[in-house]
Amino acid sequence: MTDITLQDLDLLSEEEFEQIELETERLMSVWEICSLRGQAAIFHDDQHIGEHRRELKTLDHPLFNKEAELKFRSTAVVDSLEGNMLIHPLTTPVIEVSADNTAARAVWWSLGIEGLSRYRETPMAIISAGMVPGVHLKEEDGWKIFSGAWQRTTKNEYHAGWVKSMVPTNTRPQISKEEDRQRLGRYAYQKDEIRKPVPCPPKKDTFGAYPEKTDDSWLLDNLKNERQ
Amino acid sequence: MITEERKQKLLMNIRKLSSMHEIQNTMGRLTAALNFQRADEILSFFALEREDVSLEYADEGLFEGKEAVCAAVHDIIVRPEEKGYMLDMQLTTPMIEVADDVKTAKALWWCPGIAAVPTETDPQAQWCWGMTGVDFILENGTWKVWHLHYFRLIRCDYKKGWVEDTSMINRLNTPVHPLSKPSTYHNPYSPLSVRDGIPACPRPYASYEDSDRNWMLNRDKTK
Repeated sequence: MTDITLQDLDLLSEEEFEQIELETERLMSVWEICSLRGQAAIFHDDQHIGEHRRELKTLDHPLFNKEAELKFRSTAVVDSLEGNMLIHPLTTPVIEVSADNTAARAVWWSLGIEGLSRYRETPMAIISAGMVPGVHLKEEDGWKIFSGAWQRTTKNEYHAGWVKSMVPTNTRPQISKEEDRQRLGRYAYQKDEIRKPVPCPPKKDTFGAYPEKTDDSWLLDNLKNERQ
Repeated sequence: MITEERKQKLLMNIRKLSSMHEIQNTMGRLTAALNFQRADEILSFFALEREDVSLEYADEGLFEGKEAVCAAVHDIIVRPEEKGYMLDMQLTTPMIEVADDVKTAKALWWCPGIAAVPTETDPQAQWCWGMTGVDFILENGTWKVWHLHYFRLIRCDYKKGWVEDTSMINRLNTPVHPLSKPSTYHNPYSPLSVRDGIPACPRPYASYEDSDRNWMLNRDKTK
């Protein structure tokens, strides 16, 4: 562990101290946001609707659509949780924390495995790759998720593979493939299409380029400069 | 004004950051040793001199104390060398909380993995995914594994997948290791199982209390 002591900190000027203090807080935020997203992944996997849980989202932020969020959370999409699983490990993080340590933008990639049983039928084994983009805000009781929906690349029946199979998002009532393409499957893999470079990981100057903290248009940065 | 409290907090945060980095590296090295099946190296990361050092592996039981942990690694986790065997576990989704007193830490990783296991013909390709929860303790300036629990999620034939093949999620009905104590938790995926958010995410804490021993099994998701 580090050998830095309180005596070392005494040698700093007030300005130096404050710079190091803020930078340290920003680095702590990176770890806290990793834990926050890990916690969200755990909650996502077990799917128990209506269960009392620690709030992970900025539910009371004036720009957060609380009504839609609560409706989403209270709607069952499977008859029974038996055989259902949503495991999406988080890898490849790119996390940028604002200079004042109040907002953070991030993108993770994920190669996940799932089990899906809608009506108590034998579950379907699914492999699903995608990204977890997000805007995070620091509230009084810690970091929370403001925005960022799972962006699917593939979601295929295990044996069929990701070129031949694309399972739509599981909703009730079930949506069509066309509707799915307008939602979470918008940038999903299609064998007859050139892939869109979305989401763009946040760039180092993301908060300079997009000063409004809740803005998430940075995710589409690459579309401005697509390969011809 | 730079108060004593601000100085103490800054020093704590610097120590926490340094510790989180070291813990991530320690677990990376331990995972490499596991994948390469190097028993003594795996054990070198454990706080073996502590009476309550422990290792729990899937449904093989809880191994507590130096003798039991060494036995678990040598007899269960590391297999005899064999052509065609391969294990490749990876650490993802890190959740690491270092105590405010920077003497202990709680951590959890989600671990996708693959394996190749020799059979009478060709080795069998397998998936082996799980979660690894760990308590770390700082000993003489080095972070050591204090309690480690590997929670199996799936173990199956690659060709069949985790729904068709559940033959390996539970141990065979053979005698358990004589040094093992009863498992504290085992709930792998199967078509009949229900996920329940275990192991839990570690939460910020001031110092490790006796009541923290089973934080990984905490079902209260409100805290």
